[in-house]
Amino acid sequence: MTSLRQWVNGIDLRRFRFWLQLGFFVLFIYGGYAAVNLGNSLPTFACGFVGESRGGVCYLLPLQHQLSVPWQRLFSWAILGVLEAFALFALWFFVLNKAWCGYACPLGTLQDWITALRVRLGVRFSRYREAAFRRLTVIKYVLLALTILMPLAVGGGLLPHSLGTPFCDICPGRMILPLFAGDASQLTVNFAEKSTMIMTALGMLITGGFFAGAFVKKRFFCFFCPMSALHYLLSRPALLQLRKDGSKCTRCGDCYRVCDMDIKAIADEVNTTRIMQDDCILCLKCVSACPEDGALKATFAGVTLFEATEQGFIKRMNKGAAGD
Amino acid sequence: MTERQSISFNHSRQAREAENILNHITDRFDDNPRGMDYFYDLFRRVYCRGEALPHEGVRIGTTCIHAPEELIHAVGATPVRLCNGAYHYDQIGGDFMPAKSCSLVKATLGMLSSKDPVPRVGRLELIVNPTTCDQKKKASAMIEGMGYRVYDLELPPAKESEEARLYWQRSVRQFAVRLSEVTGRRLTRKGLKAAMARTARAQAAFRTLHQLRKSQPAVFLGKDAFLVTNAFFFDDIERWTAAVEALNAELQQRLQQNFQAAQRKAPRILFTGSPPIFPNLKLPLLIEEAGGVVVADETCSANRMLYDLTAVDEWRLDDMVDALADRYLKPCTCPIFTRNDDRRRRLLELADSFAVDGVVYQAFAGCQVYEMEQRSIAEALSEKGIPMLYVETDYSPDDMGQLSTRIEAFLESIKTRKRKRA
Repeated sequence: MTSLRQWVNGIDLRRFRFWLQLGFFVLFIYGGYAAVNLGNSLPTFACGFVGESRGGVCYLLPLQHQLSVPWQRLFSWAILGVLEAFALFALWFFVLNKAWCGYACPLGTLQDWITALRVRLGVRFSRYREAAFRRLTVIKYVLLALTILMPLAVGGGLLPHSLGTPFCDICPGRMILPLFAGDASQLTVNFAEKSTMIMTALGMLITGGFFAGAFVKKRFFCFFCPMSALHYLLSRPALLQLRKDGSKCTRCGDCYRVCDMDIKAIADEVNTTRIMQDDCILCLKCVSACPEDGALKATFAGVTLFEATEQGFIKRMNKGAAGD
Repeated sequence: MTERQSISFNHSRQAREAENILNHITDRFDDNPRGMDYFYDLFRRVYCRGEALPHEGVRIGTTCIHAPEELIHAVGATPVRLCNGAYHYDQIGGDFMPAKSCSLVKATLGMLSSKDPVPRVGRLELIVNPTTCDQKKKASAMIEGMGYRVYDLELPPAKESEEARLYWQRSVRQFAVRLSEVTGRRLTRKGLKAAMARTARAQAAFRTLHQLRKSQPAVFLGKDAFLVTNAFFFDDIERWTAAVEALNAELQQRLQQNFQAAQRKAPRILFTGSPPIFPNLKLPLLIEEAGGVVVADETCSANRMLYDLTAVDEWRLDDMVDALADRYLKPCTCPIFTRNDDRRRRLLELADSFAVDGVVYQAFAGCQVYEMEQRSIAEALSEKGIPMLYVETDYSPDDMGQLSTRIEAFLESIKTRKRKRA
């Protein structure tokens, strides 16, 4: 048992993540070919526009659809459908918590691949200044509010019907992920109506920004993701959790150094054990970069899955130093 | 060096001071680990016989742990830490500084101003002086006045803020550039990786030794631990690491054989404050001669120098340099920084994980920052019921008698407390 635990704590997280992410990517983009259907309430960007090869659908698509029905219907029986889908979404989410972002999200994985490309090219990354970080972190909540309010307004007749899925219109996932299934039709501006034209043009711009941003900033898009905002609101009772033992922390900042999301509290906060922050994607890089035994750990339903150890740290860093 | 000179060195005050302490360390204790012979021998060669140590490339002197040694190794130079512990040099250095200043700074100045100083570091291509405490800051110009090339490595006065972090990262990058200029060798990714791997191995060896000292009863004595980390100041890093790894293997064996380096009920002491630097190991020695055992420390001549490990995310040159900058700033518990939360927390953690019975806090007379932090540290410890002995001292041997009385009384009070609790 101890040797198994040692083995787990000494794993090469980088490689483990790479394969798991690839697995999820294939599952969500090509799962349909193997008759996999994980339903329409997935708490990650398994894009519904991928077509029949997809293995499941991102919850934001059905959510916007459901909310854009006329109010009379929405505020009677249709609300049951909304609640059911939400409950399913929440159940999926509770299992992995924000690891849906760090391990499962195809758009997140894509950003990590772009990062790998940048590293290979020897280009340095940029970080946000703390003040900018604090401002940017609000944007995703604004987007989440719009993602919910705009379809509602459509249902109430306040906005044209073409704005029923406003977030999908601007989501880079809609344009990029179908490309992997050989479908480039989403990469267009829709001139059908003025509103669709504006929204899809905005989407094209954001997609361009997605590639440019992800090249210089690790997980660039995740700071703005409304799904991430929705996650955080539900994250407290989730099964997978990130825990910190402040008394063991030396505040060496190693965890902050490797954090793709520039979360400083992971290093500086020593009073709370529930350390998972708003922008966290639960990639667990911080745990793997912590040299203090048990200072950071990932737990599942209270059971420790993976925790920081001196030996694990030394093993991983030696490997990094020896690599090409 | 001619025969005649080496004989005369053996009889110098400098050599006698070192010899005296080394004899203390080796002869007054039974069953010293065989693995320590490497270090005893090293110190005898360097300090008592005045031997020069062979080294690679040019020598770069450092006056503080804040100078990232990996960068120095990476450009093919060899770092040597100049912080000195000799009373002999302390007296000479008195010419440079006011009477009430830190022995360490005075001794370092005294050594640098002497002809053929010990340890015989040879020609120093550059001396890196991080701008830490006021005394070290002002020492810069004095060292320059002695004819050395000095580089002021600018350190921020705080470490929590983003501004401090960025400022320091820039400082370290500039330092890397300067090192390349001085040595004529480019800093490459490969070179830095290799240097970081070497330092990481040394740190891993140190950490193993550190963890071994958690054992109850103690398997290793603090006087030897300080000698080991002191050797890191000037020894070849690979030889040092190999010697520590061999020592660790021996201690592991001793642990399995239930060996006791000190009495089972010997009070376990955590040492903090101004750094014990050979030959000024008088305080740790007094503690252990009086029946205590120093099981852990929080000083820049040992734990603070080697404990904290560098994490790199992307193994590119710029990220590695920034990672080093972070590692040399953020975890540091030096009292020169504005706040001392991390030092308090570190001491409490060490006291807890090493089952410490009491803390000995050494402050060199004139080392204001340690003197000023004394109160807050004492309060934090007393809240947890950990007794602390505050000792203000310097390099002079004059207070040995008085100190040994105080230490004996302190250890006795700890034993009484333990008996009452039991």
